[in-house]
Formats: sequence, C-alpha cells, structure tokens
Amino acid sequence: MFQILFLVIAGLGLLAALGCVLARNLVHAGLFLVGYFFVVAAVFVMLEAEFLAAIQVLVYIGAVAIILMFGIMLTRNVQGDDTTIVVGPWRVPAMLAGVLLLAVLVFGINNAVAPAGQAAWTGRAERPPITDDPANPPGTAVRREAINNMGRMVGLELMKRYAVAFEVAGLLLTAALVGAIALAHRDEEEPVVPSASGEGARRAEPAGPEAGLAASGGRTSP
Amino acid sequence: MTNDIPLAWFLYFAAASFAIGLTGVLLRRNAIAVLMAIEIMLNAANVNLVAFWRYGPPSSAQAAGAMPGVILAIFVITVAAAEVAVGIGLILLCYRRWHAADVDQYDTMSG
Repeated sequence: MFQILFLVIAGLGLLAALGCVLARNLVHAGLFLVGYFFVVAAVFVMLEAEFLAAIQVLVYIGAVAIILMFGIMLTRNVQGDDTTIVVGPWRVPAMLAGVLLLAVLVFGINNAVAPAGQAAWTGRAERPPITDDPANPPGTAVRREAINNMGRMVGLELMKRYAVAFEVAGLLLTAALVGAIALAHRDEEEPVVPSASGEGARRAEPAGPEAGLAASGGRTSP
Repeated sequence: MTNDIPLAWFLYFAAASFAIGLTGVLLRRNAIAVLMAIEIMLNAANVNLVAFWRYGPPSSAQAAGAMPGVILAIFVITVAAAEVAVGIGLILLCYRRWHAADVDQYDTMSG
C-alpha cells in the first residue's frame, strides 16, 4: 500500500521535474516546479518529517516559487520563444551528462560499501521502529519524541546543539537581504523616489553592514 | 511495518531528480530556468538527507534525538532561499544592462 503510494507520488514528481526542465514556456516551467516541490513535501511526509514538509510548502512554494515568477515576469520572457530553451549543439552532451550521472548514482546505490562494523544499508527495507519494545536499540524513546514532536524538538536543537549554525544562517539571511536590495537597486534612469521619507529613515540607521546600501541609496537623490 | 518502503527507493528518486536537474542546468539558456533546475537539485539532496536520517539506526541514546538530517535540510532550505533572492537580483541587474536573460549572452568577460 505504502509502496504503491510512493511509486505514484515519485512518478508524478519525476514527470513534474522533467516538465520543469523541458517546458518552453517559462511560466509553465515554474508551475511544474511548484508541483515538484509539492511532491518533495509528500515524500517528506512519507519519511515522517511532517514539520519539514510544512517548511517546504511555506518556503519553497510560498516564497521561492513566487520570487521566480516575479523574475520571469520582470525579465519579460513569458513568451516561450525557441531561444529560451536549448542551445543547439549542447543538446546531446547535456542529455548524455544527465543519463551518465544517473547511471553512476544508481550504480553507487546498488553497490554501496558499508562502513566497518555496520550492516550494509543497501537492502534495508525497514526503518528503525519507534514503538516500545525491549528488543529495540537504546534511544528509541528519544527518537519517538523527536519524530512525534518534531517542531518543538527542532526548536530546542536549534537553540542548544546547533546554536552557532543557527546564528550563521541568520547572518547569511541578513546579508542576502541587503545584497539583493543593493543589487537590484536602480542607480540611474529613474526619477527621484517619491517616498523620500522611507529612504531617509533607512539611511539614518547606523548599522554596519548596511552602510554600503545607504551609500548607494544616497547616490540617487542628487 | 512489514511493507515498508525500502531506503533505496528514496535514493533512486533523489538520484533521478538530481540527474534531471543537472540536465536542466546544462540544457537551458535562460538564467531563471537555470535557477529552477538548481532548486530541483537542492531538493533531491534534501530527500537524501532526510531518508538517511530516518533509516539510520541511532548509535546511542544521546544521538537518537539529534535529528542531524532534518536540521541540515532546514539549513539547506534557508541557503536556497537566500540564493534565489540574490540570484534574482543579479539576473535583474544583468537584464537591465544587456536586455537579455540568457546566460550565453553575458560574455563581457570572455576572451
């Protein structure tokens, strides 16, 4: 039952990925990409990571896909002309590279070597159980708590064990925000921004990493 | 669970997705389509991370609740979102300068 469900979902996902890669119209490609994101969220649910599936739907479908759609519309390539898809002489090598990579990966999955002292994971058909059973390995209760209560446990882990990585991710998001605004900011050929008060308020902030942004924003007003 | 899904199926799905994404990166010439194919590859990597986390037996009682695969997948999603934001900004900048969104027309630095 689960296997049939997984095969159906995975097949739909691969079809959506192929459609995203091969669609001539870029908006259609973006919609295929949304379908693929949904399929990946469903696969996360089948792996009992429902919190991650929710994050996937929120971030990828709610943010990334919308940003990509905005990019498509701003660059005016909605009309799927033939020039947007494929460079002619590169078609065969690109397909060949994809097929060869798939062959190498499948070969690696089928012939994986287990680390010393552990059983090979190649033929592993069952995930470790999380029910109470004296035969279970140690830590089953902790893992059951982690799976059944994943949102809370992820928050605790981010605050305790992965605190440094969490801070670095926040710094990266701040840098990406400032960098994206500074990149997409128009320097010339635009009239003076009507909302000068917002610009002034942003320029008045003395934060360190935003100094470059404030400088580039100040160049437009004269 | 007796009729559980084998681990290798998830890996096959991720491998096929990754191959499709690589083909898309090489095949497309529109920069935004290249970004979409990169997103497909990142998602394939995420599926692998979560599958190995779920199917790997915990080595000790302390390591059982660590969820390294899930945490790493969350960080990958974070980095992917940041990358898309900066990438769209770069593409808009290049589009404004060259009036094209095709990666093979950005040849100012080619010799």
